[in-house]
Amino acid sequence: MPQPDGSSIVLTTRVQAMLGWVRKNSLWPLPFGTGCCAVEFNSSVSSHYDLARFGAEVVRFSPRQSDMMIVAGTITDKMGPVVKRVYDQMAEPKYVIAMGACACSGGFYRAYHVMQGIDELIPVDVYVAGCPPTPEALIHGILELQEMIQRGKTHHDRLKTQDRKATTALPG
Amino acid sequence: MIDLNASVVNVDQPPRSFGEKIYLGPIISGLTVTLRHFVRNFFGRKDVATIQYPEEKHEYSERLRGRHILITRDEGELRCVACFMCETACPADCIHIEAEEDPSAEVEWEKRPVVFEIDLLRCIFCGLCVDACPKEAIVMSRTHELAFARREEAIVGIDQLRQTGAMEDQDLGYRPYF
Amino acid sequence: MTDSRHKTEKPQPPFPAELKALGSQILGSEKTGDGHHEMLVDRSRILEVLRTVKEDPAIHCDLLVDICGVDWPDRDDRFEVVYHLAALETGLRLRIRVPLKEEDPTMPSAFGLWKGANWFEREAWDLFGIHFEGHPNLKRLLTHEAFDGHPLRKDYEPGRRCLLTEDEIMTPEWARENPTDNDQFETHILNLGPSHPATHGVLRTVVQLEGEVIRRAECEIGYLHRCFEKMVESQGWNQVIPYTDRLNYCSSMINSVGYALAVEKLLDVEAPPRAQILRLILSEFSRIMDHAVCLGANLVDLGAVTGSRYFFQVREEIYGLLESCSGARLTVSYARIGGLSHDVPENFSSQVRVLLDTIPGFIDDVEKLVTRNTIFRDRTEGVGVISGAEALAWGWTGPCLRASGIPYDVRKASPYLGYENIEFDVPVATTGDCYARYLVRMEEMRQSLHIIRQAIDSIPGGPVMIDDPHIAPPEKSKAYNEMESMIRHFKLLNDGIQVPAGNGYGFTEGANGELGYYLVSNGGGKPYRIKVRPPCFAIYQAYPHLLEGQMVSDAIAILGSLNIIAGELDR
Repeated sequence: MPQPDGSSIVLTTRVQAMLGWVRKNSLWPLPFGTGCCAVEFNSSVSSHYDLARFGAEVVRFSPRQSDMMIVAGTITDKMGPVVKRVYDQMAEPKYVIAMGACACSGGFYRAYHVMQGIDELIPVDVYVAGCPPTPEALIHGILELQEMIQRGKTHHDRLKTQDRKATTALPG
Repeated sequence: MIDLNASVVNVDQPPRSFGEKIYLGPIISGLTVTLRHFVRNFFGRKDVATIQYPEEKHEYSERLRGRHILITRDEGELRCVACFMCETACPADCIHIEAEEDPSAEVEWEKRPVVFEIDLLRCIFCGLCVDACPKEAIVMSRTHELAFARREEAIVGIDQLRQTGAMEDQDLGYRPYF
Repeated sequence: MTDSRHKTEKPQPPFPAELKALGSQILGSEKTGDGHHEMLVDRSRILEVLRTVKEDPAIHCDLLVDICGVDWPDRDDRFEVVYHLAALETGLRLRIRVPLKEEDPTMPSAFGLWKGANWFEREAWDLFGIHFEGHPNLKRLLTHEAFDGHPLRKDYEPGRRCLLTEDEIMTPEWARENPTDNDQFETHILNLGPSHPATHGVLRTVVQLEGEVIRRAECEIGYLHRCFEKMVESQGWNQVIPYTDRLNYCSSMINSVGYALAVEKLLDVEAPPRAQILRLILSEFSRIMDHAVCLGANLVDLGAVTGSRYFFQVREEIYGLLESCSGARLTVSYARIGGLSHDVPENFSSQVRVLLDTIPGFIDDVEKLVTRNTIFRDRTEGVGVISGAEALAWGWTGPCLRASGIPYDVRKASPYLGYENIEFDVPVATTGDCYARYLVRMEEMRQSLHIIRQAIDSIPGGPVMIDDPHIAPPEKSKAYNEMESMIRHFKLLNDGIQVPAGNGYGFTEGANGELGYYLVSNGGGKPYRIKVRPPCFAIYQAYPHLLEGQMVSDAIAILGSLNIIAGELDR
């Protein structure tokens, strides 16, 4: 079906669905583990819970090679610029999971050196509650993210739609 | 005076033997360990550590500290009398209560909560609110898989926290024991 | 007053006559309830007193346990610097307090006497603004470079933040200019961390490389400074327990038990015997968990991934036990001041016995995989060697000190929780390298199992909470139905446990060494000041010196063997 801007809607949705399916099943996590939650993250990639069953096997510490950043643990003001830089280095499409109370909102550290939630710095797709969340809760969060990727509801997708609207709105 | 050397065991290892120096001995014994696990898991499925999570769930105890439940009385009203004890005890200050006078109460000046909000993303699930409650009005369930797309979604009020159905149907977790 | 309040008289070494001989230098001295000899010393004489205390053969305090500041805005002398010292051979414990005026908070540095004073003094400068003259590198330690003010002063708002931008991140001065000497190899500056796969948390080390050899190194910490000590000042004594759980999150039970014991010392009460033995069993399980994660991570860094998988399975088994007791896997919040929050489940001892049967299998597997493996030994033997005397000078305790040949273990030196009735050995190695630290931890896991095996047969019946209306909340059934109990319940929750004014230092053997809590109470329901003496802190300050002359790949092996837990290091 031809569109005013020249694209074909049938093809793009098919390709979008295909891309979503591919992306959601090959999430490469970047564990940005700082505190207690990092230990629970380790539990979820270990034998008992085995995150590899969801295509998220390859844990990469290099931001260039990963597309799902799991911020596990408290982010302090001192750590803030580092998180930002690591996030900026990741290639699109990229997704962020805030794991645990500290990363989501600062938790019970309403203090002079603690960031009150990492969304002060970077956009977050899924917040996982718990202190620390159980590995089940983290995997549940990842499944939720997979669902969002498939439906095109992630921050990355929203940003892209905005971009497209902006470019089509431009005269000429 | 303490004798620190009273019960000491030395754990120094002897120097490497010839078999160890040429790598082979320890490598073979190491491979035996991994091979034993492999064979047992492959043919017997005896001690496979992995659980197939969404389909198969780890059995948690009855004390698991998950999402809160506000218990209701028989007639469906909340047991909570808005005494603010849980709010006081909470180290994370994640509970927000606003009280009003209960119009249906038989005793004068009985209170009930109009707003009872818990910020689940602030909550550290320590259980101190449950210990603090003098009416067993707030307990914890075993629902621990909580994921949200937006922060506002995580602030849950009376409607979401209220007990639904009979007490036996609740997936009850941490409750006051002593 | 119930009979739970009884004096615990343990034999303490007498106040040394040599200290009395210091005469006029001591403004006042007394013996406190926590087994410390306390002295008040004027700052002009402090260096002299410290030197005597260290070098006099009759006193010989070889371990500098802790230095911390306390802020008293209402007093004439606003600040106070508190030294804790210990003599390992005699078991003598000293506390020296030095008052300082607000206008001039300076005092001489003790770095020349104990190297371990280094970071403790930097921390006191950072958090209180106390200036230590003669310190080689007195700059901020825990907070960031753009931080304004000294946050642990009482007039600092707990929530006032200072933001840091990326341009303000500092590198050490020596690392900024790169000396180019044509006769030498080219030197490189390499930045490890804070987000680095081998740092397991948030540690940053800047190293200067000559080829692959490290010439100079400096550590930067504070990336997980969660303001524990400020936050707890606004919480009740019992509400601190969840915070302590998150100090060393690999073994949270040990932390909260250590804290509860320290407060109980200040209150002069003791938890019932059943609670004590349950605390002991769960603490030992936590120790196994902590060593498992330390060794597992160390093995992963050296390329042996299988071992860590087996060790994480050990943790998974123990999580099951902790969760069935407390309701959470990692951060248990199970201990309370005066006992435990509630009794263990009925099948507790059968669960423990199952664990006692399964865990040795995992340890044996790893033992077979790596202990005699030549590759592993090549990478760890002779790497990161530190002598016993040197380790002690840096303030090391725990498995790392024992790997250098000094058999100091708080469980033996000043037993608590009934360790005196249990027979166990302290593993010691002599070489002081990474391999020795690995061996010591492996043996400690076996010893912990041995301890649990003895304790599980002797669990007495009875309550798990002290019977003291000022500490323990009333039974729930009574709180629901009896007016008096209900009032008690409300009062205890609203006002908190009232701890008499005073100070005390409680110390236990954490998984990494001596874990101490210095508590100051002004008689209210909230702590006035809590200073944690984290074992990692003292250990990690020696890390740059261990690195000098080593290969860069060995830096990873050394770091893993020290087991630095950021939550405890930065608090």
